[in-house]
Amino acid sequence: MRKTWLKWFVPLAGLTVLSLGVASCGDDDSTATKTATGTATTAAATAGFTDAGYKTAKFQTVTVDSGATIKIGISSGISGDVKGLGVPIADSAKAAGEGVTVKGHKIEFVTEDDLCTPEGGPAAADRLIKAKVVAVVGPICSGGTRASLKAYDDAGIVHISPSATAGDLTTPVRAEGPYVTFFRVPVLNADEAREQANFAYDTLKAKKAFVVFDTDDYGKDLSAQFQVSFKAKGGAIVGSPTGYEKKQTDFKSIIANIKAAKPDVIYQAGFYAEATPFLQQLRAEGDLKSIPYIGGDGIKNDELISGAKDAAEGAYLALPGATGSEFANYAKKYAAFTKGKESDAETATFGPEAYDAATILIKAIESVGVDAGGKLTIDQKALQQAVLKSTTAGATGEVKFGPNGNRAGAVVRLFKIVSGKYVQLKAGEK
Amino acid sequence: MIAPLFLTGAEFWADQTVNGLTTGSIYALIALGYTMVYGVLQLINFAHGEVFMIGAFAGYGVLVGMGGDDLTGVMVALAIVLALLAAAVASAATSVTIERIAYRPLRNAPRLAPLISAIGVSVFLSHLVDDGFLGGQSKFYPLIFPNGGISLGPLSVSYLQMFLMGSSLLMMAALYWVVQRTGAGRAIRAVAESRTNASLMGIDVNRAIVITFVLGAIMAGFAGVLYGLFLSSIRGSMGFIPGVKAFTAAVLGGIGSIPGAVVGGYGLGLAETLGREVLNEIPGVNLPNEWKDVVAFSVLVLILIFRPTGIFKQKETKRA
Repeated sequence: MRKTWLKWFVPLAGLTVLSLGVASCGDDDSTATKTATGTATTAAATAGFTDAGYKTAKFQTVTVDSGATIKIGISSGISGDVKGLGVPIADSAKAAGEGVTVKGHKIEFVTEDDLCTPEGGPAAADRLIKAKVVAVVGPICSGGTRASLKAYDDAGIVHISPSATAGDLTTPVRAEGPYVTFFRVPVLNADEAREQANFAYDTLKAKKAFVVFDTDDYGKDLSAQFQVSFKAKGGAIVGSPTGYEKKQTDFKSIIANIKAAKPDVIYQAGFYAEATPFLQQLRAEGDLKSIPYIGGDGIKNDELISGAKDAAEGAYLALPGATGSEFANYAKKYAAFTKGKESDAETATFGPEAYDAATILIKAIESVGVDAGGKLTIDQKALQQAVLKSTTAGATGEVKFGPNGNRAGAVVRLFKIVSGKYVQLKAGEK
Repeated sequence: MIAPLFLTGAEFWADQTVNGLTTGSIYALIALGYTMVYGVLQLINFAHGEVFMIGAFAGYGVLVGMGGDDLTGVMVALAIVLALLAAAVASAATSVTIERIAYRPLRNAPRLAPLISAIGVSVFLSHLVDDGFLGGQSKFYPLIFPNGGISLGPLSVSYLQMFLMGSSLLMMAALYWVVQRTGAGRAIRAVAESRTNASLMGIDVNRAIVITFVLGAIMAGFAGVLYGLFLSSIRGSMGFIPGVKAFTAAVLGGIGSIPGAVVGGYGLGLAETLGREVLNEIPGVNLPNEWKDVVAFSVLVLILIFRPTGIFKQKETKRA
């Protein structure tokens, strides 16, 4: 009897120690990530492209033969879950170059699927570099972008992401500074989260927020930024911020935690594929039927309304960016390009950003390309400088870049779902 | 961060227990298919998760075809009954086809061959539906089940949860009756004991095996519709995780044992929802949500260390 007990006691004790050790490691990790993101944001305003950064970029000179097309790559998620986001993005970029000729050369878009994943990003980059593209629109997601920054830098290829919003992409903790070949059009997660926190605290008068997030780079960053901003306003985060993985459909146990934490507002950073069942299960719960819900830009999609239906009513979604002077033009070209088969320009999230990214690249190629008897020579370094110094009246307002490739000066819009439609809110309205 | 002690209300634990039992019901229904097929063929039918998925889509088709969100009153009940029936038929047909095409030709091949064949069928079906038919998008069940529920002190259970738990218990009871009290059930048990002896006694072994697949598939198809009604979001790859969990539940309960699959299913469901929360009650411990499977599977490993053959120990088989 005693022997058996002893026999089991040793491995059991070992297991307990092990699991405790692992548990504390987990805690350390999560705090580390949070602090890292926090510092990254504060540094964001000051950091810029450095000389060291220019040294790592392997700029070359690209030649386009006479009669050949100028290839611009598009790295977007065009299959799988993010298709609803990625296809309109790719098509918006194409709409900007449709029928455009630069110094006698037609623009040709080469689209590669980056699946919005850290694995897909570099794979698409590799294929685009091999296809000898001059510049790239994309990648579309933060995780995929982070993983492919170096590949593009090594090829000296300027790439403008229409939608990668994680803070540390342009403010990495590295000596050589951010990659000088990377630019982006969207408003950053930090800007979006600050607006959402202000809205929750000032307009909704919420003091306690419960945070759920997709555990990918985007979801972690946006939710961490929201917590920083909401706490800075004087609000409290109740319960533990709760992560979930893509494709999760059962949110019942998270919802039980939300119910017990009694928040004034629920904040979600993620994508519509998971937000749809989340909202449905949330609104099925009597106590949580009418609690305000704020979601990030990855959730603002027509699919959310068609999937969650009544459960989506009253949800607040933020969308970074504004409508610029070029928007009407974009809408027209987009509708013509897609022949009305896809969502219209009003609802194509990040579509205007992609259109602007492509426009900026085409204009920059036009300004630095040197024509020599039908051959077009493009110096990649000059192209990078042209993009950095460009000012464009775009579909998302005036697009200029800060010293680190981030967009300079940006706006966040808030929407509410009313009777199955996204209605833009005015300041102070709820 | 300190574990949020105010979370420890009775209501919270009641909610999570109900959540664990509902998830457990689904696992148990699927686990039955694994355990029965293992019982007769010693085959881990990896494609069983996809049989569950096909059931969910068949039910979805019926519900949407009958009017989806516009259904009201008695039509809701009728639509759900028809959806369950359609799911049972579709899942059974899928399962029998899989058995005929992918397993029967390999019946006398080395044990690993049908296992690989099963994995192949599983991958094929989930990608066929996801990429072939749906283009990677999810479908959403219409939310037609009447809202509301009953509250008893801290315990509140929605009508949907009651329906889910009640109907799965009923299905399991029916299955138990079929296996224990009918001729077909006796044939299945005989084949499980010894295929050779059963055939010597004049039992049609192939027929018994097909019936085993059909019974397991009916449970899985039923679970598919319940899953859809409960969680709403369905997709081609939806069968993978519940499939793995249900297989785990079957092993936990003692693979080959029908009561074992049921107990294993509920056990795993509860371990998953409650395990992490219980540990978080220890001061200083705050495991994030992503850790719930780590906790659940640690429990599983611990149980298997003490009872390697699962909770319901099977008698040593006389097979060589």
